[in-house]
Amino acid sequence: MILRIENGSFAYKGGPEILKDINIEVTSGEIIAVLGPNGAGKTTMLRCMMDMLKWKSGRSLLDGEDIHSIPARKLWSRMAYVPQAKSAASSFTAFQTVLLGRSSRIGVFAQPSAEDMEAAERVMRSLGIMDLADKQCHAISGGELQMVLIARAMAAEPEILILDEPESNLDFKNQLIVLDTISELAANGVACVFNTHYPAHALQRADKSLILSKGGDSIFGSTVNVVTEDNIRKAFGVNAVIGEIETPENIMRNVIPLSIADTDSQTQGKKEDEKCIASVTIISDNNDKAEMINALLHEYNHMLIGRMGLPYRRAGLYIINMTLDGMRSEISELTHRLGLIPSISVKTTYAKDNSDDRKGTV
Amino acid sequence: MRRDGRLQVYWIIILIVLPFIAALIALGLGRMQISPGDVFDVLRTRISGGHYANMPVEKTIMQLRLPRIVLAALVGAGLSVSGCAFQSLFANPLATPDTLGVASGASFGAALGILLGFDLVGVQFVGMLMGGAAVTLTWLAGSGKDKGGLSYIVLSGIMIGSLFSALVSLIKYVADEESQLPAITYWLMGGLDKASFRTLSFGSPVIIAGVLVLFLIRWRMNLLPLSDDEAKASGVNIRALRTVTVICATVITASCVSMCGQVGWVGLLIPHMCRMLFGNNHLSIIPASVSLGAVFMIAVDTMARSISAAEIPVSILTAIIGAPFFIMLMRRSGGWRI
Repeated sequence: MILRIENGSFAYKGGPEILKDINIEVTSGEIIAVLGPNGAGKTTMLRCMMDMLKWKSGRSLLDGEDIHSIPARKLWSRMAYVPQAKSAASSFTAFQTVLLGRSSRIGVFAQPSAEDMEAAERVMRSLGIMDLADKQCHAISGGELQMVLIARAMAAEPEILILDEPESNLDFKNQLIVLDTISELAANGVACVFNTHYPAHALQRADKSLILSKGGDSIFGSTVNVVTEDNIRKAFGVNAVIGEIETPENIMRNVIPLSIADTDSQTQGKKEDEKCIASVTIISDNNDKAEMINALLHEYNHMLIGRMGLPYRRAGLYIINMTLDGMRSEISELTHRLGLIPSISVKTTYAKDNSDDRKGTV
Repeated sequence: MRRDGRLQVYWIIILIVLPFIAALIALGLGRMQISPGDVFDVLRTRISGGHYANMPVEKTIMQLRLPRIVLAALVGAGLSVSGCAFQSLFANPLATPDTLGVASGASFGAALGILLGFDLVGVQFVGMLMGGAAVTLTWLAGSGKDKGGLSYIVLSGIMIGSLFSALVSLIKYVADEESQLPAITYWLMGGLDKASFRTLSFGSPVIIAGVLVLFLIRWRMNLLPLSDDEAKASGVNIRALRTVTVICATVITASCVSMCGQVGWVGLLIPHMCRMLFGNNHLSIIPASVSLGAVFMIAVDTMARSISAAEIPVSILTAIIGAPFFIMLMRRSGGWRI
C-alpha cells in the first residue's frame, strides 16, 4: 500500500493558500507525524488527504489511484479516520461505537452479523479495552474514549490509519498508551499518519515527519532530518534544543523549547556532516522483530562493516552487534528507525574522531 | 439491554403485545361501556364473517371506536418514530417534527383546505402538500453550496415554521367567523374524532410506508448523530441516508398532522422515554418508539373521548400529561444526550 500526495495545495474560498505544494509518501508499516504551529493547517491537511476537503490543486493517490475517484465504500474499507475525541459523538456504549466502525461492511437494511460482533470484540481485546465494552462513551475518561475511537477505526480492518491529534488533552500515561498503540499497529503493518503538537512525539515515534509552517511552506522527510532545531525555529518561531536522554534501554530524543525566536534572526548554517565509525548494539525480545531489523539493515548495507547475531535462547533474547562506517546523519537515521520498533533496545557508541589516524590506516 | 443494542426477547414480546392490549381495553371504554367479553365476541363474529346480535354495540365498536383506535395507534407510532429520527438527525434532544417547519406547513395546508371548503380527504391532501413544501423550502434555505451544516437547517426550519404560522393566522383572519374559524381553530387543536376508514385509507399507507422504511434502516440510523467527518469516514453515503430519513420523517409528520391536527408532545416525549429505557441504539429505540407511541396515543385519545361528556381536544391532554411526565423523567434520569 502506498498513499501519496502530489503537489497538494489548498486555500479556503477567497483566502490565501494555507497549504502549498505538499508532497508526501506513506507506505505500509510507517508512522508519519504531521507537525506545525496552531493554525498552520494540520487538520486541514489531513482532511484534504482523505478527500473530505477538496485539494485546490494536486491530488492524493492510493496505490496510484486518485482518492477522489475511489468509491467511498471501497476507500473507507482501506483507510480509517480517528477524529479528535472532543469532536466525536458519544451517545452509544463503547462496544456499539466500535461496531459502527464496521458500517462500510454492513448493508443498508442489514444488522451487524456474528462476524462483525467478533471483529469488534477482537479489536477491543487486542487494544486491551474490552472491560469498557458496556460503558457509555460519555461516562469514560478522555484517554479511554480515544482508545475506543481507535478501536472503531481498526474495526474496519484498514491498511492506513489517520489520527487527528490522538494524544492531545491526555495525561502522561494515556499519551503513552495511545502512542504505544500506534507503534504496535505500525509494527503489524498498518500505516499511521497522525497530527501532533509535540515534536518530541514525532522524534520518538515517527519514521517520517511533515512540518507545516504558517505561510504554507512545508518540509517532509525522514524524522531525524526534518525535526531539527533549525526547522523548529523556522516553523514554530521558537528556539529549541534537541537533546538525547539515555535510558537503560535506549537513547530517547527530546525537544526542549528555550525561547521565542527573533523573527529576523538568521538561520544557522547546517552542521557539517562528517564521516564516522560507530558500534550499535540491539537487544530484541522477540524473534518476529528480527525480520524487521534485517529488512532495515539491508537498506543501509553500504555502511555495514560487520555484524554479529547472538540468539540467547534461555532468556528469549536476540542480540545483534554491528559496526557501521558512514555519514553521521545516516547512522543516526538508522538507529532512530531501529528505535521505533516496539520492544527493542538500541544504543550507539561513536568512535573518537581521529580522522588523521584513519587516513593512515586506509 | 443486550451488548449489540438489540432488544431482549421479553421486551420484544411486551412491545408487540402491549398495543393490542391497549386497543382491546380502549374498544370497551367510552360513553357506552362495553365489557371486554362483549368486545371479544364482536371482534370474533366479525372476523368469522357474521354479525353480532346487538347492533348498536357492534356499530360503536366497528365504525366509531376501531378506526379511531387504529388512527391513534398510527399517529402515535408515526409521530414518535419521526421525532426519534429528527432527534438523531440533528443530534439535538429538542429536535421535533416542528423543527423543520413540517408541522406548521401541514397545518397551513389543512387550514387552507378548510377555508376553500374541501372535504376531509382534500384537507389531508393539501396538508401533506404544504408540509412537503415547507420542508423543501427549509432545505433550500438551509443548505448553501459548501455549508451543509445541520445548524443552518434547524435555523431555517424555525424561520420557515414561523412563516407558515403567520400564514395560518392570516387564514384565520380572513376565515368566516361563523363557520370556518371555529372549524379551523378546533382542527388546529387536534383531535381524532374525524377518523373513519375512508380518511384512514388515504393517510395510513403513507404513515405505514414511512415507518417501515425507517424501521428497515434502523441500524444504519446509528450513523446519523455522528459528526460530518466521522460520518463520511464510515464509508456510507451519509447524504443519501440523511435525505431518506428527512423524507420519511416529513411525510409521516405531514400526514399525521393532516389527519388529526397538531398533536404536540408525542414526538418529544416517547423517543426520550425509549432512550432512557433502552439507550440510544436505533435497533431498539425505533421498534420501542413504534410500540410505546401507539400505546400512549391510544391511552390519551381514550381519555379525551371518555373523561367528560364533551370531547377534549387531544393536544390539550398530551400537553397536560406530557409536560409533568417529561419533567419527572428528566429529573430522574439526570438529563440525556444524543
